[in-house]
Amino acid sequence: MRPGSTSSACAALLHRDLLLAWRRRGDIAMPVLYALIVGTLFPFAIGPDPALLARIASGVVFVTVLLSILLSLDGLFRGDIEDGSMEQLMLAPQPLALLVGMKILAHWITAALPLIVVAPMLASMLRFPASAMPVLVLALLLSTPLLSLLGAVLVALAGGARRSGMLLALMLLPLCVPVVIFAAGAVSAAQQGLPWAAPMAWLGAGLAMAVVLGPLACAAALRIAMDT
Amino acid sequence: MTVADTPLLEARALGFLRQEEPVFGPIDFELRAGEIALVEGNNGSGKTTLMRVLTGMLRASEGELRIGGGAGSLVFLGHHLGLKTDLSARENLDLAVALYGRRDDVTLMSVLAEVGLAGYEDEPVRRLSAGQKKRAALARLLMLPATVWLLDEPYANLDREGIALVNRLLALHAARGGAALVTSHGAVTFAGDTLRRIRLHA
Repeated sequence: MRPGSTSSACAALLHRDLLLAWRRRGDIAMPVLYALIVGTLFPFAIGPDPALLARIASGVVFVTVLLSILLSLDGLFRGDIEDGSMEQLMLAPQPLALLVGMKILAHWITAALPLIVVAPMLASMLRFPASAMPVLVLALLLSTPLLSLLGAVLVALAGGARRSGMLLALMLLPLCVPVVIFAAGAVSAAQQGLPWAAPMAWLGAGLAMAVVLGPLACAAALRIAMDT
Repeated sequence: MTVADTPLLEARALGFLRQEEPVFGPIDFELRAGEIALVEGNNGSGKTTLMRVLTGMLRASEGELRIGGGAGSLVFLGHHLGLKTDLSARENLDLAVALYGRRDDVTLMSVLAEVGLAGYEDEPVRRLSAGQKKRAALARLLMLPATVWLLDEPYANLDREGIALVNRLLALHAARGGAALVTSHGAVTFAGDTLRRIRLHA
């Protein structure tokens, strides 16, 4: 007998999750639409003052993107737990943490990447200065995977609960706060022409830690969730 | 004792408690190469719980459990078939093969023909009937090199031919040195009476 190699198993799982997302592409569009609607409504709600809009633009973009990711995070493992696929993954010879990491990566690609693509458009609708746009995109590239990883751990912990959406939002809030502070801090520093490397480095450090520990915590939490 | 005699699966005084109430056991059994055992018990007698303990999904409350092969030597087929309904049988099997590996003597087409799904390999599993879904899940068993099959109610949803198919697959698996543990609530009579029976009492 020869079990599949770890790398090909990871590639196959990533491929399957992306394929599943593609078969349900309406679900991918939903968070993007949500973000666009929220972004569009802001200038109507607070008035079209360019200076004010430019000041709040980065904050609005971050909060909108964060909430949009939260929308899709809820179902990250539910499908697999309900149809028995999770048991297949757990019994597989590959380490569960790696497989779960692939699922989180697939989720980030399908849920966060489209948001990062529309974020510059959203920001320019809010009169965000084009000069600081690369910093905004970089901050999003670092903070969204961090949110996906933190969220995945909590989704896994709540995996046993039926309606975990509310619980998830409550648990994720304190973890989101530092991410938003550093990401928005870097962007507003760039907007004012100040050095923005330090908050960005903090985001990077957080992401590096989450990439290593997140999948491990997720795997452990899923084993607990299945143990019922 | 030679290597061939080593049990593939061995349970000693295995039991499981839920809130201090025993769900099953303690039970003793061992499964060697070429053996097929039927776990019998009424509804609620703990058959599925036993299966979940054997797969390691649940931790046994008492006794010990030894699994002969390494990781990936067990394959489990439960009430939830572990098929993605948006994907075709072929795509579902591709992932299983990437995870567990593939037997050298089978191909995807031969396996699907064996379970009677030839011609349905690219159909989304969602469009298959309940019995055909079960057959697609059985195809996974044939495809993977696992030595121990844990089948929880494999006869559910199957027609007479499907039941014969499960029995044929089990006989084939036993003939090539595998072992299987099958649960049933007793509605189906299993072919052959040399079969090992493990009783669970409710």
